[in-house]
Amino acid sequence: VDRYQYVRPPSVDEAIEILQGHVDEAYVLAGGTALTLLIRQGLLQPGVLVDLIDLPGLRDVRDTGHGGLHIGPLLTLREIERAPLVIERQPGVASTLREVATVRVRNQATLGGNLAHADPAQDPPPALIALDASVEISGPEGRRSVALDEFFVDVFETILGPADIITGILIPSTPPETRFHYEKFLPRTVDDYATVSVAGRLDFDEDDVITGARVVLGAVGPVPIRATAVETMLAGANAAEIDVDAVAAEAAHAADPVDDARGSADYKREMTRVITARTLRRLLGTEVPN
Amino acid sequence: LSAAKPPDAGTLAALSRPEQRFEAAIKVTGAAKYVADLSMPGMLRAAYLLSPYPHARIVSISTERARSLPGVHAVVTGDDVRGARFGRRLQDRPVLAWDRALFIGDRIAAVAAESEGTAAEAVAAIEVEYEELPPVLDPESALADTAPVLHPEAADYGFFDGDRPSVPHPNIQGHVLVTQGSDLEAAFAGAAHVVERTYRTPRQHAVPLETHACLVWVDADDRIHIATTNKTPFPLRRQLATAFNLPADRVVVDAGFIGGDFGGKGYSIDEFACVALALETKRPIRSVATYSAELGQINTRHAATMRVRTACDADGYLIAHDARVELDGGAYAGAKPLPHLTLAGATATLAGYVVPNVRIEVLSVYTNNVPGGHVRSPGEVQALFAGESSIDELARMRGEDPLSFRMRNAVRQGDHGAAGQRYREARAVQVLAAAADGIGWTRPKRQGAGVGIAMSARHVGAGKLPLRLELRPDGRIQVFTGLPEQGSGGWQVLRRSLAVSAGLDERRIDVVHLATDEIGFDPGVGGSRVTHIASRAAERLGADLREWLFERLPQAGPTWPNDVELRDDSVVDPTSGEVLSSFDTVVARLLRPEEVVKLSTTFEAEPHGPDEGGDYDFVACAVEVAVDADTGRITVVDAVVAVDVGTVINPVAHRGQLEGGFVFGLSEALMEELAATDGIVSPLSLADLKVPSVGDIPPLRIVHVPTFVGPGAFGAKMAGELTNAVVAPAISNAIADAMGIRVTELPLSAERVHRALRER
Repeated sequence: VDRYQYVRPPSVDEAIEILQGHVDEAYVLAGGTALTLLIRQGLLQPGVLVDLIDLPGLRDVRDTGHGGLHIGPLLTLREIERAPLVIERQPGVASTLREVATVRVRNQATLGGNLAHADPAQDPPPALIALDASVEISGPEGRRSVALDEFFVDVFETILGPADIITGILIPSTPPETRFHYEKFLPRTVDDYATVSVAGRLDFDEDDVITGARVVLGAVGPVPIRATAVETMLAGANAAEIDVDAVAAEAAHAADPVDDARGSADYKREMTRVITARTLRRLLGTEVPN
Repeated sequence: LSAAKPPDAGTLAALSRPEQRFEAAIKVTGAAKYVADLSMPGMLRAAYLLSPYPHARIVSISTERARSLPGVHAVVTGDDVRGARFGRRLQDRPVLAWDRALFIGDRIAAVAAESEGTAAEAVAAIEVEYEELPPVLDPESALADTAPVLHPEAADYGFFDGDRPSVPHPNIQGHVLVTQGSDLEAAFAGAAHVVERTYRTPRQHAVPLETHACLVWVDADDRIHIATTNKTPFPLRRQLATAFNLPADRVVVDAGFIGGDFGGKGYSIDEFACVALALETKRPIRSVATYSAELGQINTRHAATMRVRTACDADGYLIAHDARVELDGGAYAGAKPLPHLTLAGATATLAGYVVPNVRIEVLSVYTNNVPGGHVRSPGEVQALFAGESSIDELARMRGEDPLSFRMRNAVRQGDHGAAGQRYREARAVQVLAAAADGIGWTRPKRQGAGVGIAMSARHVGAGKLPLRLELRPDGRIQVFTGLPEQGSGGWQVLRRSLAVSAGLDERRIDVVHLATDEIGFDPGVGGSRVTHIASRAAERLGADLREWLFERLPQAGPTWPNDVELRDDSVVDPTSGEVLSSFDTVVARLLRPEEVVKLSTTFEAEPHGPDEGGDYDFVACAVEVAVDADTGRITVVDAVVAVDVGTVINPVAHRGQLEGGFVFGLSEALMEELAATDGIVSPLSLADLKVPSVGDIPPLRIVHVPTFVGPGAFGAKMAGELTNAVVAPAISNAIADAMGIRVTELPLSAERVHRALRER
């Protein structure tokens, strides 16, 4: 824990080069809110810490030209939630980010770091998956784009190779009649990780028929879980005819939770049902006042 | 005891001013030093090898590899300190285990090295061969006939100030039995209603910002110095001297600023191994506990199982109460300071109620779990949850409003409480009425909402405190004390009590902390005693200062009338109200340039007579909760705490204690649980053990039921351990009101409430 080499490469290419030279001992530092804790707890022992702080061009929100957004991975969560373009195009992203930890943490944590960390209880991954986001990855082989839905492999594990760096997060444009909601269930304190979270997105046509559905479960599996059976039940249905309780019960089947300080697996599965139902009612405008 | 008459208007005005603590500036700027900030040339870092087993025999230890690492200066094992045990009362905890490890986390060896990393490496290089022994992991199995005796050599353990009371089973640490009335079972047999339940409260933690830490060094005169986060320096000196068989004056303990206490800083562990390391290396040794060590190894609240029966007659009068409070004492009893080796508050199941037939039995039991210690209101948090849940259920069983049931049974003047408590002034009815009124007890509630209330009485702590004072020609006053400042404002109590008593401006007074070799014994911070003893000692010193001044008035102002008064920092003619001189001018006139006036005093609280009522604070907490029936999540939407605290000396800190106590109680009620599964405590980080943040705190109102009857200066009582223990039962009772369910185990987590709702 005592000593490691600390480097600040000036470009993405040089960062990749350094990472290639120190496979197995190099760790990438962005905001550091998660990495420094892991190091302090002795869970990671880096030989080289590659700080991305000097990399140019990774700190802005850009219009992709087709209504989509390209978000720089080194932007802090706080910067993104306050970016006018994000608030205008993807207010659901802004509101989801406001659910993460505290302002103090969000002022430091970056979106790229958040995704690369691959903590299954994090808020941005299920929300961004529900919005069909993808990740732009730069590595020794060049640049590629991967759907976020395929990015997470296991707890703290992604498809990123040892010398890969996230260089962008892409959120495509959404149809005009889209509703999005992220519901974070916090049974203890307001600044906890979710016990269960559900990100839902429904696209509607002019007859109120659902043309596209995404239901993504957070904190109830090693990675965010797309409740595809639920999505299938919703797609093509008329909003007025949906049996929310039956659909939500299906979501509970998709959950794969573990016992921990935030609840037993059984409780989390049951809460997946409850929170999915609440999310859907919110999206369908049929929520019962609590 | 101070007279029960209200202080005069001037005194009350001075006491009502929001205080600014003299140490505020240095704390805010970071200039105040805490133990973890201290550093000395040549200082080494300590690390400990912990037992991975809850119960094991140590077959052999090999330290060669660890010793040979560069940067390692010493490796000490149980063999080096064989026979050295410590404790606040019973000395049952080895400095390092030499033959058997009794819990996961028991210290087997200690290392001193040049960095924390090297120390950790050295610990990992120590090889231990263990023989696992069958563990006892709960009090019930510890009390079984076949249970292994965890302390077979207990008869040889040291015990401070007297003999250890006998215990009914070798695995019992301590035992208390309180009885009232002649025939408990007959009373139950004739009762109209009986409630019988088993309640459980978990292991919890004080959760201070600062972890336990110490810096230990040996000086040129071979004296051992300990800078520590322990809030009881004098008792710690005695424990250290006893453990290492040293004369007390060879041990110097210094504790100044402590970064939060909440009950857990009265007992130390690492100081002992660090003394062994310092003696071995002759180098300063610093040890700072990690937070996981705090949560898993140091001073957790005793988990408790409480079997309670409570009965009333047809008219709704309590007639019988039978409580068996079983505390999981863990591997050692050394953290418990009282001779009976249980917790003072554990008999307080029904502290503020009249019950003619009572049996309350408290047991603390040895197990192979982490040793139990003190956390704010030790024992009360456990006992009150059981007792106040029990009578609430009894009222509901009768079909009666739980408030009116409590009112009927609450102690009046002259009554004594269920455990035999005698109250100098009984204020149970007043606090109940004030809390109920504040929450809007009879107001109609929304669906899923309910109100609950709980009441208690807690003793005001006692003890002694020596103080010294120095007055200089520039009018500055220094008060010297051995009392640490653990954040709750004890030094400001000294400062203001002295100032008000003397008639001076408190801003001319500084408090200076002294180590144990520079001033006489005090028992330290704890038991909510500081306001009482510090205010009385300082009041006395203030009176001595006035007397000193008045004796010299003929020199200071020969033409002044002889009945002048010292008030508002000035000498005043009481007849005309005319200011004759400032205090500064008088002092400058009386003292030679280098002269220092030195005064000293020692206040010691007198014990109460057998027929005299004791000094208690009464408290009632009323809350309104909303229950989310789908998830079990509890939201406290409104809260009122009514208190009977006597005169308030420092309004800002006082309010902080009362409100902070409520939040502390909210945390224990809804959030905190340190489970021990197979002896493994979890969670071990504050990422998983959650405590409330600002967004979790409901609207909260504190209502004072005023009194001037208190043992402290000006009629002060206490505030520190008053408001937390009533929160959990109030919330649980509100859940019962809202949903008709009785949750019998803390915390009242969403999952637990959800389960109870499903089982309804």
